[in-house]
Amino acid sequence: MISTDLVLVISAAYVGLLFVLAYVSDKRARQGVGGFLRSPLVYTLSISVYCTSWTFYGAVGSAASNNFEFLAIYIGPTIVFVGWWFILRKLVRISRHQRITSVADLLSSRFGKSGNLAVLVTLIAVVGTTPYIALQLKAITQSIQVITTASERSALGDLDTISLGFGVAACMAAFTILFGTRNVDANEQHHGVVAAIAFEAVVKLVALLAVGVFVVFGVGGGPVAIYEQAIAAGIEIHSNDVFGPRWIAILILSGAAILCLPRQFQITVVENADERHLRTAGWAFPTYLLLMSLFTMPIALYGLTVLPEGSNPDMFVLTLPLTSGNTGLALFAFIGGFSSATSMIIVATIALSIMVSNHIVMPIALRASTTFGNSGTGGVTRLLLTSRRASIAFILFLGFLYFWLSGNSDALAAIGLISFAGVAQFLPAMIAALYWRDATVHGAITGTFIGFLVWAWTMFLPSFASSSPTIAELIANGPWGIELLRPQDLFGLSGFDPLVHSVFWSLFLNTSALVVISLFTRQNALERIQAAIFADVFKRRNREQPHFAPGSASASDLYFVAQRVLGGQRAYELFEEFAREKGVSRTQVEPTADLVVRLERELAGSIGAASAHVMLSTVMTGQDISLEEVMQIANETQQVIEYSQELEQTSAELRSTAEALKQANERLRALDSQKDEFLSQVSHEVRTPMTSIRSFSEILLTHDDLGNDERERFTRTIHQESLRLTKLLDEILDLNALERGERRWQNGPTDVEMMLDRAIEICRPMAEQKGMRIEIGPRAAKVMVNGEPDRLAQVFINLIANAVKYNSSPEPFVRITSSVADKRYRVEVTDNGPGIGRADRQRIFEKFSRGSTASAGSDNGSGLGLAISRQIVMRMDGSLDLISSDSGARFAVTLPLLP
Amino acid sequence: MEGRRRIETGALFLPIFGALLIVPPLVGVFNVPIAIFGLPVVAIYLFAVWLGLIVATAVMSRRLDRAERTVGSPPGEDRSE
Repeated sequence: MISTDLVLVISAAYVGLLFVLAYVSDKRARQGVGGFLRSPLVYTLSISVYCTSWTFYGAVGSAASNNFEFLAIYIGPTIVFVGWWFILRKLVRISRHQRITSVADLLSSRFGKSGNLAVLVTLIAVVGTTPYIALQLKAITQSIQVITTASERSALGDLDTISLGFGVAACMAAFTILFGTRNVDANEQHHGVVAAIAFEAVVKLVALLAVGVFVVFGVGGGPVAIYEQAIAAGIEIHSNDVFGPRWIAILILSGAAILCLPRQFQITVVENADERHLRTAGWAFPTYLLLMSLFTMPIALYGLTVLPEGSNPDMFVLTLPLTSGNTGLALFAFIGGFSSATSMIIVATIALSIMVSNHIVMPIALRASTTFGNSGTGGVTRLLLTSRRASIAFILFLGFLYFWLSGNSDALAAIGLISFAGVAQFLPAMIAALYWRDATVHGAITGTFIGFLVWAWTMFLPSFASSSPTIAELIANGPWGIELLRPQDLFGLSGFDPLVHSVFWSLFLNTSALVVISLFTRQNALERIQAAIFADVFKRRNREQPHFAPGSASASDLYFVAQRVLGGQRAYELFEEFAREKGVSRTQVEPTADLVVRLERELAGSIGAASAHVMLSTVMTGQDISLEEVMQIANETQQVIEYSQELEQTSAELRSTAEALKQANERLRALDSQKDEFLSQVSHEVRTPMTSIRSFSEILLTHDDLGNDERERFTRTIHQESLRLTKLLDEILDLNALERGERRWQNGPTDVEMMLDRAIEICRPMAEQKGMRIEIGPRAAKVMVNGEPDRLAQVFINLIANAVKYNSSPEPFVRITSSVADKRYRVEVTDNGPGIGRADRQRIFEKFSRGSTASAGSDNGSGLGLAISRQIVMRMDGSLDLISSDSGARFAVTLPLLP
Repeated sequence: MEGRRRIETGALFLPIFGALLIVPPLVGVFNVPIAIFGLPVVAIYLFAVWLGLIVATAVMSRRLDRAERTVGSPPGEDRSE
C-alpha cells in the first residue's frame, strides 16, 4: 500500500503545480498574451468545477444505494445548458453590462441596489455552502484514510478523522488565500484561478475515466458481465421509486444549483470573457457531465458485487483499484478526487469571500466611519483584501465545524443536496430579476428569507440529528410538542421523502411570498430603473441613466474616491481615459453624469453595486433629492418621447390618408375623362345618323318637286337611320345597365351547344347573302353551363356576325368549333378576314372601337357589340378573348361547366 | 429574420422537450427489467436522450451563430462592449 508521507508529498506537489500554473497564467493574462486562457474550451472546463468530490466519490455511493438517482444531478444542469440561449445568455449579458461580481450583487443590483438583500443573500450563500465545503473536507479526509489504511504508521498516520479534517481545512484556507486574493481585480476576474480549475477539470475527468475503464474492461470483464453478475448477486437495479417525486426534486435542485451556487455563478457568469463562449459551453459542458457519469453505475455495481459487505460505497473509486493491487491507479484516482475537492473549495471560498467583503464588511466600514479612507491611497483595497482573506478562513472554519458537528454518518450525496436546496432559494428572485419587471425588493427579500427559514428548519437542522439528541427529539415531536411544526412533516404534510418535503415547502412559500408581496408593494425609483435595464438588456442600447444629479461634487472628490477604492494607478488610468475621450486634460475633467456613471460601474466591479452606490452617495451630497429629480427628469423625458411618438403616429396616419385621397382623385379623374370620351363618342355616333335624317327631311320639306320614287327612297333612308339610331341607343342603355350591374338576369343551366346552333342558323342567311361559307368544325357533345340562353345566343350571334361583316377576302369563310377541356367549355369563331391589327388588339373590346381596317362605309356596327358581349360572358363567369389574328381573327368564349 | 426567429423558437423548445423526456411518465416506460445489448434499457434510454440533447444543442448553437452572422447585429443590441 501507499505510505502517508508519499500521499502528503504528492498532494503538496500537486498543489504546488496548480499554484505555478495559476501564477504563470495570471502573468500571461496581464501581459495580454494568454489568448488560450480566454478560449471557450478553458471556459467550459472551468464550469466543470460543478463536479466536485461529490461527483468523483459520492456519485458511486449514490448509485450504490439509489441506483440511477445520481444521474438527475447531472441531467438538471444539462437542461439548463441546453437552454443557454434563454437564461445563461441573459445572465451573462446583464452581469457584464452591470459589472456584477456575485449572485448577491446581481439580486441587490436588480432590486434597487438594496444593501439588505445583498446581506441576506450573502448570509444564505455562506450557510448554504457550509455543508458543501464540509462534504469536500469529508471526502478528502476519507480518501486519505482509505488510501493509507494498511500502511505503516507515519507522521500523520495516527491522527483521528477530526484532526485530519481540520488539517485539510487549514491547508486549503492557506492555499486559497495565496491563490485568490493576491489582488483586487477591476472586474473580479481571476485568470490564474480559472486556468488552474480548467487543468483540474482535465485531471479529474481523466482519473475517473481511467478508473472506469480499469474497472469495467480491466477487471470487470465488460459492462454486460458486470450487469449480469450484479443481478446474479441479487442487487436491486429496477427499483420503481427512482423516477418519482425525488427524481424531479433533484432535477429542479441541480438545475437551480448550476445557476445559483456562488461558485458556479462566479465561473459561468463573472469569469466569462466572451458571451459567445456560451455557444460552446452549451453542448460541451453537458458532454463533460456525460463522460463523468458514464462509468458511475458499473463501478457501483461491480463494487457491490465484489467488495465485502459493509465497504463504504463512496470510496469504491479508490478501493476497487486498491483491492486489485493497482496502487498506481489508486494514487491517480486519489489525485483526481483531491483535484475535484480543491477546485470546489478554491472557487467557492473565493466567490463567498467576495460576497462577504463587498456586501457585509464594506457597508459596515462605510457606515462606521465618515472619515474612512483618509488613511491614504488604496486604503479600501487593503481593507478588501484583508476582509477577503479573513472570510476565506472563516468560511473554511464553518465548513470544518459542520463536518465536525454533523457527525460522520451521512453519505456524500445527502450532504450535497442540503447545499443545493439552500442556494436554490435564490432561484425565484433570480428568475424574477431577469424576467419580471414588477418584482419588488420587499417581495424578493421576504420570499428569499422565508425560503431560507423553511430550508433551515426542514433540511439544515435535521442534518445534525445524528449527533445531537436534542435535534433528534425535535424532529420526532416538534418544538414544544407542536406536531404541526415537525421539521420533516411540516404542517402535517407527511409521507414524503424529506428532500421532496423540504424542496416543496421552501420553494413554494418562497415563490408565493415573492409574487404576493411584489403585487402589494411599490418599487422605488432606482428599482424601476434597474428593473427596466435588466428586463430589456437585449432591447435597448443601455446607457445607464445617471443616478446622481451632476455638479454636487467636484471632480477631485470623485478622484479621491476612485483612488481609495481602485488604487492610485487604476484611478489615474480611469480619469486619464475619460479625459482623453472628452478631449480635455485630466485636470479639466468635469464631474458630469457620464463620469459618475462610469465611476460607479468601475467601483461596482470591485466592491459590488450596493456598496459602490452607497459610497458615491456619501460623496454626492443630497443624493435622495437628486435621485427624485433625476426620476422626474426621466419621467418628463418619457412623456416627451411618448408625445413625439404619438405625433409621429398621427403624421403617418395623415400621410396614408393623403395618399389614399390622391389615389381616389386619380381614379376620379380617369373616370371623368372616360365619361367625357364616352359622351363625345356617343354624340359622334348619334350625329352621323342624325345628320342624314336631318338633311333628308330638309330635302323632303323644301323640295316639293320630288318624284314619288325619290320621296320614297328618302323616307326609307330616314326610317333606316332612325332604326339605327334606336338600336344604338338601345345598345348604349344595355351596356350601361350591364356595366352598372343593373340588368339582372337569372343564370341557370343552359344547353350551350343548342344556343350555338341557334346563333349559326340566325346568321346563316346573312352569310349566304355575302357568299360566305360557314364551316362547322369539331363540336363538343351536349354540355350544360350556368348562363342565360338568350344572352348566350346574343354573344355568339355577335361574334359570327362580326366575322361575316368584316370579311373582305375573296373566298370568305367562318369556322366555328367547340370543345370541352379541363371542366371548361370553349367556342372558337375563326374567320379568314383581314384580322385585327396589333395596335387594335388592346382596345377591340372597348366601347365604340372598331377594327381600323373595317370597311368604313356600308353597314357599320355601333362599336358596342364586343364590349357588350364581353360584359355578358363575364357575368356568366366566363371570358371572351381574342386569340390570334395574324391572318383573320379568332375569338374564343370560355365558360365553366356546370358540375 | 424569420429564419432566426424559427431557430430561437427551437432553442426554447429544446430544453422543454428534453425536460419532458426525462421525467415521469415517459421515463417510467423504460424503467423495466429488460436488457438491450445486455444492459438495462433505462440506462440506455437516459444516456441516449442525453447524447441527443447534446448533439441537438450543438447543431442549434451553430445555426444561431450563423443566423446572427447573416442578419448581423440585431437592432438595439449593444455590441460595443
